[in-house]
Amino acid sequence: MSWEDSLLKQAREIIDMYPQKRSAVGPLLHLAQSKDGYISDDSISVISKLVGITEVQLKSVSTFYSMYKQEPTGKYLLSVCKSISCEINKSDEIIDVVKDFTGLNNNETDKNGLFTFEAVECIGACGGAPAMQVNYETVEGLSPNNTLKLCEWLKKELPEVVVAEEMQEDFGGYKSFDWAISDQSGTTGSVPGFQTLKTTKERN
Amino acid sequence: MKETLLLTKHMRSNPEDSHLIEVYEKSNGYKTAKKVLLQESPEKVLEEIKDSNIRGRGGAGFPTGIKWGFLAEDEERYLVINADESEPGTFKDRILLERDPHQLIEGIIITCFAANIKNAFIYIRGEYAKPARRVQNAVEQAYQKGYLGKKIFGSDIDLDVVVHLGAGAYICGEETALLNSLEGRRGEPRLKPPYFPAVKGLYMKPTLVNNVETISSVPWIVENTGKEYNKLGVEGSTGTRIFSLSGHINTPGNYEIEMGSSFGEFVETLGNGVRNGKDVKAYIPGGASAPWFRGDQLDIKMTIDDVANNNSMLGSGAVVIMDEETNLVSAAKSIVSFFAHESCGQCTPCREGTTWLEMILERVASGRGRTSDIDLLLDVCDNISPGLSWPPKMTTICPLGPSAVSPITSLMNDFRDEVESLIPTKILL
Amino acid sequence: MNENVKINVNGTEIQSAPNKLLIEACEDSGIHIPRFCWHKRLDPVGMCRMCLVEIETPRGKMLVPSCTTNITDDMVVDTESDVVKKAQEGVLEFLLINHPLDCPVCDKAGECPLQDQTMSYGPGESRFVEEKRHFEKPIPISEIILLDRERCILCARCTRFSDEISGDPLIEFIQRGNKTEVNTFPNEPFKSYFSGNTVQICPVGALTSTSYRFKARPWDLKSVRSTCSGCPVGCSIELNSSQNKMLRILGVDNDNVNQGWMCDKGRYNFEYLNSDLRLTSPLKKINGEFQKTTIKDIYSDLDEILKNNNNVKFLLGTNITNEEYVSFNEFAKKLTDEEPSFYINDDLLYEGFFEDDIQLAKINDLNEADTVVVWSEDLKENLPVLYLRVRQAVKNGAKLIVFGHSNSTLLDIADYFYTDDVISKNFEIGDSLPMLEGVEKFINDKNVTAIIGKSTPFQADESIKKLVSYLQKYSNLKILNAFSTGNVYGAFHTLSSIKNLSDFSEEVNSDNTDVLFVVGADPIGKSIYSNQIKKNIKDIDNVVCLDLFIHETSELGNYIIPTSSTLGEKEGTFTNIEFRTSRIDKLVPSPGQALSDWEFISGLSNFMKLDNNIDSLEELNIKAYEGLAQQTKPIFDNLDKPSNLDGILNNFEVNISTSENSGTNCDYFVGKKLYGDNVTIRYSHSISLLGAKQFIEANNSTISKLNLNSTKCLLSQDEVEVPVDFIENEKLSDGIIFIPINRRNLNKFDFSKKISITPNHSKAALNVN
Ligand SMILES: Cc1cc2nc3c(=O)[nH]c(=O)nc-3n(C[C@H](O)[C@H](O)[C@H](O)COP(=O)(O)O)c2cc1C
Ligand code: SF4
Ligand code: SF4
Ligand code: SF4
Ligand code: FES
Ligand code: FES
Repeated sequence: MSWEDSLLKQAREIIDMYPQKRSAVGPLLHLAQSKDGYISDDSISVISKLVGITEVQLKSVSTFYSMYKQEPTGKYLLSVCKSISCEINKSDEIIDVVKDFTGLNNNETDKNGLFTFEAVECIGACGGAPAMQVNYETVEGLSPNNTLKLCEWLKKELPEVVVAEEMQEDFGGYKSFDWAISDQSGTTGSVPGFQTLKTTKERN
Repeated sequence: MKETLLLTKHMRSNPEDSHLIEVYEKSNGYKTAKKVLLQESPEKVLEEIKDSNIRGRGGAGFPTGIKWGFLAEDEERYLVINADESEPGTFKDRILLERDPHQLIEGIIITCFAANIKNAFIYIRGEYAKPARRVQNAVEQAYQKGYLGKKIFGSDIDLDVVVHLGAGAYICGEETALLNSLEGRRGEPRLKPPYFPAVKGLYMKPTLVNNVETISSVPWIVENTGKEYNKLGVEGSTGTRIFSLSGHINTPGNYEIEMGSSFGEFVETLGNGVRNGKDVKAYIPGGASAPWFRGDQLDIKMTIDDVANNNSMLGSGAVVIMDEETNLVSAAKSIVSFFAHESCGQCTPCREGTTWLEMILERVASGRGRTSDIDLLLDVCDNISPGLSWPPKMTTICPLGPSAVSPITSLMNDFRDEVESLIPTKILL
Repeated sequence: MNENVKINVNGTEIQSAPNKLLIEACEDSGIHIPRFCWHKRLDPVGMCRMCLVEIETPRGKMLVPSCTTNITDDMVVDTESDVVKKAQEGVLEFLLINHPLDCPVCDKAGECPLQDQTMSYGPGESRFVEEKRHFEKPIPISEIILLDRERCILCARCTRFSDEISGDPLIEFIQRGNKTEVNTFPNEPFKSYFSGNTVQICPVGALTSTSYRFKARPWDLKSVRSTCSGCPVGCSIELNSSQNKMLRILGVDNDNVNQGWMCDKGRYNFEYLNSDLRLTSPLKKINGEFQKTTIKDIYSDLDEILKNNNNVKFLLGTNITNEEYVSFNEFAKKLTDEEPSFYINDDLLYEGFFEDDIQLAKINDLNEADTVVVWSEDLKENLPVLYLRVRQAVKNGAKLIVFGHSNSTLLDIADYFYTDDVISKNFEIGDSLPMLEGVEKFINDKNVTAIIGKSTPFQADESIKKLVSYLQKYSNLKILNAFSTGNVYGAFHTLSSIKNLSDFSEEVNSDNTDVLFVVGADPIGKSIYSNQIKKNIKDIDNVVCLDLFIHETSELGNYIIPTSSTLGEKEGTFTNIEFRTSRIDKLVPSPGQALSDWEFISGLSNFMKLDNNIDSLEELNIKAYEGLAQQTKPIFDNLDKPSNLDGILNNFEVNISTSENSGTNCDYFVGKKLYGDNVTIRYSHSISLLGAKQFIEANNSTISKLNLNSTKCLLSQDEVEVPVDFIENEKLSDGIIFIPINRRNLNKFDFSKKISITPNHSKAALNVN
């Protein structure tokens, strides 16, 4: 139970970035999720103490946001967009492929803890619709076939670091815009890869 | 029709590495900020912004100069960059964050100088992991160079910038919800009045909330003067704007253009026409919240006022093309269920109404509709947005609830047959 | 400056004080706008959208929520237009689509705004054919509160109350949008001293109390307005009964006092009224056994005894009316020529600050003060609604300076909180007050309202005086004396002399007392002088107890007279902490032969032919207020005027003659918890467990110094051993160990001597008795 010193130290650093402690709630919840893959009640207790609010106040905040998962997620969080631009570009077919491959319904995680599937709202890749994210790394211009290949690749290769560029190159298609030179950083874990959270790694 | 590149010029000229500080500086980056901080007055900058007549790019289109002028006096004031871009169809802030983060930072420096602000936050939606990474890197580079932090550019001015990640809530794009979120609370919009950000914003202190594109425009305006900017585009919609084009279109993407030409021209030239040579059945002129136009309305001009005069809005600048084969009921359902999912749940009509609308549409779309459902849909809409007029009247706290009404009124006004055809006629209830 | 504002509502001009919300201004003029989320005492949130009205703006008519719109001069408002009606009906329909059809089994039915609105506005047939939102039916969210999320309309009244008013936000919205629900955190119940208020203000039957559940029969509910005598705040309340049984107590919005709120003890400590253990007939001890007898028999015994003995003393509890105090006073005067001896059942009673040069404060002065200073017992535990009023003052901008170690519950909102460095472990204050860094700018020449009382029985009176003279010297000071037992302020002005339990333990023994009357008091069960008092009482030959129950003290009586409760069983008056006198009223009959204390005394006086003119309640009532100006006399006739329902303020002469306490060396901080192990709580089933736990508190570092390795430990001293839990309380300063003396047997130690604290391994730890 409770957090290790190194994590607590990181948490305190985050708190120090803000004029008021409570503002750190958002990043601290991301941090908690990078540790457990979801927001555990234990994390809630730890964070609520750190920022000086009650546990239920924090739970109230965490459950408001869809990225703070209330149950453990798999190693790969597959988020397929179903909003308007993707919807009219047949995102239903992409969703079906992912569902079939993983055997999961919306917001479910498989027994092995490998995949979590969710159909999500617009991820800002509408120019490359249909699109999805794996651990918040975006792939655009999907076809059902390539989606299947992407899933298979994840299952087979089990990449530790998920990098948008790599997936886009191998499985993506038309993009919303040019992404500039290949970026080697990606995400470890089903959380956004972000420096402050130390969830970003360079692919070697 | 051609693009006019102000904001996207640097990234176009440096397709590989426009996001790096060295590259940005090679394109004369940070020169304007430095000059302004060392040589000019805040008043002068504000004048330029006012002269430019730029209107906010976040959706509401409020004149930026006037907004800055409203900022109440206080020792503690904040700037918050709204990078929560989540309106379906919109991906223009993403490109600015990912490809030209230093332009945004330079805009922030100038803005904070003009408004005497010492703390800025960039609130980026959590799903934008990579854009956030790029911005965070850029902020760190700027700190290293002494462009952020203490005594920036050797002036007397201090400025801190924090990159803050959201966590999956469209409503946090609404500026007061965003402030709540940034305070570590539920992203529920605040009541206006009394909580106008310019007076009682972050931590109840005067706060400027501006969109990424708005602030990214600031360096160009200040460098080239507001008058020059004002010459671009048309009256009421000056300057350039990045439109996100998507849907059934040959070349979707972000296009920076001067406002004033027609949607049809935009689709034909920059969009290279509708995919597979089909006709446009309907299109959304400004993001999922905006009422739709029919395919025979492509001659409407892409300006804030022209679109408004035709009972819709240019909103976030997201143009979504739906071709003749599109199932519009499914399309409407997709949009309504977006708003139902994203409703914060504070107010009764939005919380209950959007979900109810979604349920009815679901029934209709799957062939289980009742004849009475058409009137029911409209009446539920009317209870969220009385009179179904434009701009919408609201029974709600913020415009999200009424936004769910837009696709339904569009369907009912212009494509009623399509809805009716899905309702089995035998069930008369 | 404060000129009225004119607004036009539905074509009629109305006047209103400025700075009002539209919904309030309309209400004041008799125009009711339906609402669910708005509550006068909570910050408006404009969430339910039921109160929408149209106002005219330069851009035409606009729908606005009247609960978040401030009135402005010449505002034109329509509360009845078709658009308004449609919007309100729409909101109602939205609320109903997910609301269960529960009314027949709902506690709120009959007084539910949702039900009422539906009857008057609502659409008939439901157009909602989908499945309703489902939640598990009522879940307990604390020992006394249940939550039915299906009925909840998400008005945020409960969450706002807990956050803004009581400051213990343990209930919150979870999830968002259509999935939003109210809930608590797992394993963190809604443990608030004020939770009952949320039940009262919940506009539907979502929050219910275990105590009232399924008891509602709104059609035969009788009610009367009264005053809570649970503590000297004296909250205005409404008593509800059905079929002669007390069912519920509600807070009444008295702007001067409780503003509608109550504490949970005041609200739920009534079930004892119906307890099977209530005394219903007079008892007389024969050969060590109590036997039933008649009042007459007791009268004739007492007549005999009192004629032959004139050393008579009185130990009075504070749960009696002013009229009853008067009856004892008059009775005593006739028995002896000497000054009668009244001892009040209170360890903390001391002389207080009532001299002529002291400006006494009203509760509402807290709102006017620049600075509020608190040094007293823990307000939250002992004067709960006054604690809410302090919170309110701070919310309104007053600075708060708190002197410890008590009142750690104010730590979070205090601007200055002085403990160790300024105040000794023994609650002594140094001489360096004016030098306290930073504080002078909040004191010097400021309007200061100070809540002053003893923090613990062992505190030297001198200590408190130091603080008061400092404040008096530098600020414009008003003092609210904080005594914390029942109707003790009533005793102050009705009894001719008053002493405390310390005095009692030292002075009253068989050498000088032949007859002792013990009235509604169990000092053996709760006083820190318990052991001595027990010894003393045991030795006295004639002990007459007037009480509701048999308890540790009354069981020592030779006679016990069953009495009525001040809660709904008798009439009279009560004087609160600011000397505001208000009505105690009767709603239900007393059980068996139970009678009011004054009735007993009056009967006895008659029997003894004492001729003291205390034959009726009215006589006593008038006697209680002799010497006051006719207009402000809190006699029944005056109090029953509608304008006086909130009580009448008076300046009374106070007669406290306790002997000076020069401080006792004590290593512990002893004090009372809101819920204790006293008889009434013990026999009120919904809250009985809340006062049962035995524990002590300290901060982590203090605990760790004791090397206990366990939260279970044993307190022992001589033959007294009490197993307790050690609870961590980080708000206490280092070295402070808190012992709640109103938990069973924890008052039995001699606190001036060492108590050993050892790990408790043996389960069969010995208990006293
Ligand atoms: C429901 C809703 C969602 C919004 N989402 C965004 C958004 O994602 N990004 C944004 O910049 N503005 C958004 N806005 C507009 C903001 O409230 C605000 O007007 C804007 O950030 C101001 O910046 P600007 O003046 O630079 O446009 C939204 C408004 C509403 C009502
Ligand atoms: S309209 Fe919807 S999103 Fe906006 S405040 Fe109300 S419930 Fe929340
Ligand atoms: S439980 Fe009652 S008071 Fe609380 S939000 Fe629900 S309806 Fe309102
Ligand atoms: S605060 Fe005192 S008077 Fe008020 S309800 Fe509680 S016990 Fe009764
Ligand atoms: S609609 Fe799918 S990414 Fe925007
Ligand atoms: S009462 Fe005004 S919105 Fe609820």
